Amino acid sequence: MSTVHSHIRPNAYLFLRLPSDLLKLIEIKPNTIIDTGKLGSFPSNLLLGRPYYYKYEILDKTESEAYSRLRIVPPSELNAEILTEDATPSESRGDPATPTVNGVPEAYDLVGEDGTVVMKNNRLTIDDASRQALSQQEIEELKKSSGGKEIIEKILANHAGLEEKTTFSKAKYTLRKTKKYLKRFTVLPMDMGNLIDYVMVKEAPRIMEMTEESLGLVTAWSNAHYSGCDGIVEKADELCAGGGRWLVIDDTGGLVVAALAERMDLLFRDPEEAQDSADQVNGTATSNRALETFALEVESAQPGANGGLAENGQETTDTPTKATSHLDFPIPARTDTITLLHPAVQPNVSLLKYFGYDTNQPDPLHPLHTHLSTLSWLQLLQPESDVTYREPEHTADHILRTWKSGKRGTYWKKRRRWERCKAIVDDARRGEFDGLVLASNMDPTSILPHTIPLIRGGGHVVIFSPTPEPLVKVMDLYSKERRAAYINHISKEEIPDPVDFPVDPRMLLAPTLQTSRAKEWQVLPGRTHPMMTSRGGAEGYVFTARKVVPLEGGVMAKGNYAGKKRKAVEAVEGGAEG
Amino acid sequence: MSNDVLETTNGQPSPFFHTTSLTEADSLAILHLKRDSLLPLTLRTAADEGYAEGAVTNTRFGSFPHSTLIGIEWGSQVRASKVDTGSRGRKKKETKEQLGPEGGGGGVPVVAVDDPRTRKKRKSDDDLTASELPAKKLKQGASNGQPPVAARVAVEAGSGFIHVLPPTPETWTASLDHRTQVVYTPDYSYILQRLRVRPGSTIIEAGAGSGSFTHAAARAVFNGYSPSLTNKSKRHGKVYSYEYHEPRVATLCQELSSHGLSNIVHLTHRDVCSSGFALSPEHPPPQADAIFLDLPAPWLALKHLARFTADAPLNPHGPVHLCTFSPCIEQVMSTVSYLRRNAWTEISMCEVQNRRIDVRRERVGLKEEGLRGVNASAATVEEAIDRLREVECKLSDYHSNRAAVEVKGEQKKIQSKAERLEKIKLEAETRKLYMEGNLVQRSEPEVRTHTSYLVFATLPRAWGEEDERGAGEMWGVGEVMGGRDKVAVEGGKKG
Repeated sequence: MSTVHSHIRPNAYLFLRLPSDLLKLIEIKPNTIIDTGKLGSFPSNLLLGRPYYYKYEILDKTESEAYSRLRIVPPSELNAEILTEDATPSESRGDPATPTVNGVPEAYDLVGEDGTVVMKNNRLTIDDASRQALSQQEIEELKKSSGGKEIIEKILANHAGLEEKTTFSKAKYTLRKTKKYLKRFTVLPMDMGNLIDYVMVKEAPRIMEMTEESLGLVTAWSNAHYSGCDGIVEKADELCAGGGRWLVIDDTGGLVVAALAERMDLLFRDPEEAQDSADQVNGTATSNRALETFALEVESAQPGANGGLAENGQETTDTPTKATSHLDFPIPARTDTITLLHPAVQPNVSLLKYFGYDTNQPDPLHPLHTHLSTLSWLQLLQPESDVTYREPEHTADHILRTWKSGKRGTYWKKRRRWERCKAIVDDARRGEFDGLVLASNMDPTSILPHTIPLIRGGGHVVIFSPTPEPLVKVMDLYSKERRAAYINHISKEEIPDPVDFPVDPRMLLAPTLQTSRAKEWQVLPGRTHPMMTSRGGAEGYVFTARKVVPLEGGVMAKGNYAGKKRKAVEAVEGGAEG
Repeated sequence: MSNDVLETTNGQPSPFFHTTSLTEADSLAILHLKRDSLLPLTLRTAADEGYAEGAVTNTRFGSFPHSTLIGIEWGSQVRASKVDTGSRGRKKKETKEQLGPEGGGGGVPVVAVDDPRTRKKRKSDDDLTASELPAKKLKQGASNGQPPVAARVAVEAGSGFIHVLPPTPETWTASLDHRTQVVYTPDYSYILQRLRVRPGSTIIEAGAGSGSFTHAAARAVFNGYSPSLTNKSKRHGKVYSYEYHEPRVATLCQELSSHGLSNIVHLTHRDVCSSGFALSPEHPPPQADAIFLDLPAPWLALKHLARFTADAPLNPHGPVHLCTFSPCIEQVMSTVSYLRRNAWTEISMCEVQNRRIDVRRERVGLKEEGLRGVNASAATVEEAIDRLREVECKLSDYHSNRAAVEVKGEQKKIQSKAERLEKIKLEAETRKLYMEGNLVQRSEPEVRTHTSYLVFATLPRAWGEEDERGAGEMWGVGEVMGGRDKVAVEGGKKG
């Protein structure tokens, strides 16, 4: 498997970071023109096959060609520019003192001992547009006739006050002009970090204002990871029989599903394979993974499921080609899966399309096709009232044969859809999930009573909320006081009032609420400090806990490390510390 | 420095990646004693510790024979057992007195009998008491000499419990004692996210320290075990870990092997600043996609992490993401200055500020008088006025009746306060205190205000004229450049 983002591949989604630092989302198709707006346009083929993370410059169009060409700004040239950027001030008031070896200035005083100003500062700077000798019109004409570099040089040459500026503000001025007149952009791959940056600017509520640091906490505490069985020799049967399953409730448009899928090796298709199958449309090149899964299916299929297909003389699973034809409603994989619970009829995981998985037209070879199962709350809690869960009418073999092929096809499609739905619902209701990840606008206290019992002992529970209040409520439901009261009821053989105890407070261990914020800094020689402004809005809170299996009846805590008084307290507070 | 490659092979699935349906003997478990007090433990059926119950772990919440911990559902709450710790005779008299009747074994409050980290301690303990041991063994006679088959069935104690959890990088990190500064979950979760570490990635980590980041990175790159190089089509995730402190290497190596991570983590004893990252000749270079440097002077190691050097340890086919972890701003400035001069892009620096939040119910009011953990002042203006009236009333009563019932009244008043407190206490037992008061949240008492500064940077893949020519041939633009009308204008629709 080669690196996912080794180079820009056709039909991929990617970001162009424009000089304004805004990200522009592009789907790159071969033989098309990419229009960047202000910077101009260029053929997509000039980016295809090229590397990410480079700065590309849009060159001036030559007479003979219809579009501008691109140039990768070589690292050596960038270096030179970055080093001048080194001296880019933002808020600085003084000239840089001579930097020492590691870039810290030796002196920082603006005023000498006798009170005279020893360093150049901006005391005498005049902020006036008239200092620029070139008029806007002249600049506009320059833009037509000469390249970006020349414009900048001319603008700088015509600035009357440039010599009065401090080195820093001069550099800043140059940088501003560079950004304005050099048509450069950076190409960034589609990954979680860039996607968050992009959505956060455009429509933050769509991803519940989830920052990258919150997402990091969620994925780490969920313990989501690859749980495939390849390479396991010992205890393979036990470990592969339904391990690595996560239950997810996601109102972030699929961001959380994508992040978990990434951790579970389900998000990206093997790029080489994707290339192959794109070349041979619907060919026989089935991915290893799909085949693997399919083999599993065939082995483990319940008699009623795929076995039924085989009996009825329908296309069977002899060859990969035929296998592919059944991948429209595949029976979900048994390990390394994400089960998504959604409140509407269809799940909203639209962000997944940027990673090559569109739920409306799923790519049958994408790992998510067999490893992402979706079901509605109705299907989970009252499956018998769901249409898809109800078994479609069974038609006998000899009647089927008399049907037209189209009608027969529809019949089998219905059967396959039902089989998939039934497999998903039954699997979800069986429970034993390794973890629950919850990022929802729904009230968590209404979700937990239904989902906590589905998590296996030792499993992880992670809830994200942009604001603390919903999670504070959850913390309160699992507080040690409430748990002690609950245990007290039980040890007296009373049934605790479900109004006072919407959830069994003993079921979660070590409930913890936390929040993370990455504070950005500006790092420049002599002027290193936290950024002056940053994004406000929701902080993002993460609740974590482990599902446990409590002992029957009352439990007495014990602490034998301190004095008697402490000991008595411990005993009273009950199972306490959790 | 030597190039000691400390890699062992281990065919077992790692307990960090695959959880058995029940707890099993010889597998790693985490005992959850209380919040932030976790104890890693390898469950044993037998031990030579001299307990009648076989292997026993003593904690401050009681003694736990491993027989009560094996073969149960993960996450189970387990009661402490009555274990005769006294007659084993390992303890010195003074520690016994300190610990009291329920004290743990071994002279420290918490001793994991089979925890690899404390095993060493235990051994030295053994050496110390070696001279007195033979005699005591003789005295104890049969019970000590018996094979574990005769282990006594554990008897439940009246109080004390723990929970048995399957291990995760988070619990492992939380259970670490501070061998070095530990990279905690708020930092490493963000770092791994920003470094784009995915299953199948290769990450370089230097120095490994206590192994907290190592475990998290191993989970992030894991995409199957690679016992051999038979399946070459799949690139298996690897952590190349370097550490120059030899005892730490030895400890970590043992831990990784007992955690079934030897196939995923390649640990090398090395000072990377002076010797670089190249492996022994028979190993191909790491081809790292991500680099994490937790070193005093990361810029010294960075010179070994350039493209175009002989046996460069970087993946030549993709971008390389870097994070350095430095507590001081001067280190950051030197690092950034080096990165700027050496073709790294996307340079940024930040620090992760993580707070844990305490949620509790705060009860305020006169009716709370005398109860624990409350504020017994008036909760409302009305309550305050009522109380003031009451006092006023009593005062005037007192003045008017002073002559008659001076002594009696005073007695009555004192009584009434005691009575009131008693009454409040009685009432409190029937009140649902867990649902009363204001639900409030605040930061936990101790906040880690600074861990380290994180410098991030990216090194794009090398791109030469030949690469450009190749891409140009594959994706020609001749047609497009010739006729403007032939192609649809893309873009703009999303941006």
